[in-house]
Amino acid sequence: MKSASVIWTSMTLQMKQTFARNMFKFTLFVGPLLTTIVLGEMFRFSGADSFVAYVVLGSGIWSLWNSIAFSSAGDINRERFTNTLSIIFSTPADFRKILLGKIFGNTILSMGSFFLSVFFAIILYRPTIYVANWGLLFVALILTIAAFIIMSIFIAYLLTLSRKTTIWMNCLEVPFALLCGFVFPIENLPQVVQYFSWAFPPTWAVRLLRYPVTETGYTFTEALIPLLITMAVFALLAGFLYKAIFKQAKVLGTLDMA
Amino acid sequence: MAVIEVKDLVRDFTTGDGLFNRNKRTINAVKGISFHVEKGEIFGLLGQNGAGKTTTIKMLITMLAPTSGTCRVLGYDVFGQEKQIRHRINFIFGGEYGIYRRLSARDNLKYFANLYKIDKNIRDKRVDELLELVELSDRADTRVETFSKGMAQRVQIARGLINNPEVLFLDEPTIGLDPLGAENLREVIRKLQAGGTTILLTTHNMYEADELCGRIAIIKQGELLTLGTPQEIKSRLTPRRVVEVARDEITLEDAYIQLVKGSDGQ
Repeated sequence: MKSASVIWTSMTLQMKQTFARNMFKFTLFVGPLLTTIVLGEMFRFSGADSFVAYVVLGSGIWSLWNSIAFSSAGDINRERFTNTLSIIFSTPADFRKILLGKIFGNTILSMGSFFLSVFFAIILYRPTIYVANWGLLFVALILTIAAFIIMSIFIAYLLTLSRKTTIWMNCLEVPFALLCGFVFPIENLPQVVQYFSWAFPPTWAVRLLRYPVTETGYTFTEALIPLLITMAVFALLAGFLYKAIFKQAKVLGTLDMA
Repeated sequence: MAVIEVKDLVRDFTTGDGLFNRNKRTINAVKGISFHVEKGEIFGLLGQNGAGKTTTIKMLITMLAPTSGTCRVLGYDVFGQEKQIRHRINFIFGGEYGIYRRLSARDNLKYFANLYKIDKNIRDKRVDELLELVELSDRADTRVETFSKGMAQRVQIARGLINNPEVLFLDEPTIGLDPLGAENLREVIRKLQAGGTTILLTTHNMYEADELCGRIAIIKQGELLTLGTPQEIKSRLTPRRVVEVARDEITLEDAYIQLVKGSDGQ
């Protein structure tokens, strides 16, 4: 029960203080609009299926990724500079649960970016949207969020080891969006790069999410199985990494700036 | 049994610069210091900036791993047995950092109460008591970012007392406090000691150290220069320095300056 309380309070406080930041309001409201316009103009004459897959869903997924990844990484950076990271780490609460609460909080707020992007795409470009199966779309959306949460946990763990969080954040944002096929099919990438794409859950989450809308490319099951496998691998990897990474953070002294 | 045991404690930091951090440099922040603190004692750790005081405290509060040596709190190793230690200790760092500035003082304290797994039915009462103690009851629901440095420091003090710790580590806790605030904190420290709390204090305020501490260790560049009661340390002042001071009463600051300067061969 107390563990649930740590997750819950970390989540609610995260949302409270994140929403108080003007930069996050920009990421939440203006970022999705700009992403939608860029993608909308790129795909304007590419056919209805591509437009829905890469503008409506693509901008939503990219905005979701930006919000989750940037807020999770940004939080670690911010908390390191304000010395709260090392302080919450040294409390009796399980640090994994604190981080999980924070990531849940960011995810809930980031869903706003996703839905705003979809909304902007529909309002600005008025595409014809056909959804073959709303149930599958809902399941795909939930699994997509789960995939992003697992990636966020993984990234957050790794970023505790480095003080150069801002550099990593910027290095991750666009390459990851391209690598996982948020804005164009990964088949356009060189074959060698595609092997890397396959390793990440968001690649399969994106395919899963697109299927109920386009009914082309990978079928739902063909995307679902690799998604579940890669999610399980990253979850296990994060679990194994936790002890080693946090032991190392204490050895390297990277939890604060002093 | 000593509540805090430090023996031959060493902490090195390796930093890198240049392209890809290839130029590695090792800084020896703490170089084999030893001391112990008994239950209910107020122990002072004094030294110049960069002497290794904060690094020592960070190891004692399980935030940093020692490079080598013994570092035990309440009978447990600070690296590997953190779970047995963390709920029984707390710490207060000087300055306005270490709290969430976009949250109110009350939200900060409630959050840390949850992280210290304090029951909800006693949490709210405890938060109110602590806000009263640090004289922030009337600003309890205001965001900390609107507070002065001293007020933010008082939130830190309240945070450090949230779990009623058996051992309290204070790292320059009166930084930013006005004279009245500092005196109030010293009063809180005395009350905590009277209640059996063990306290390790670092400060640059020699009057504060002299007034509060039963024993004091002075460290310089990671090494222990001397250890004893304030009276013992003052009595170590050399006759030459006593003449230089030219005052009836020798202060801890006189002794401190001589010790720190003297170790430079001055």
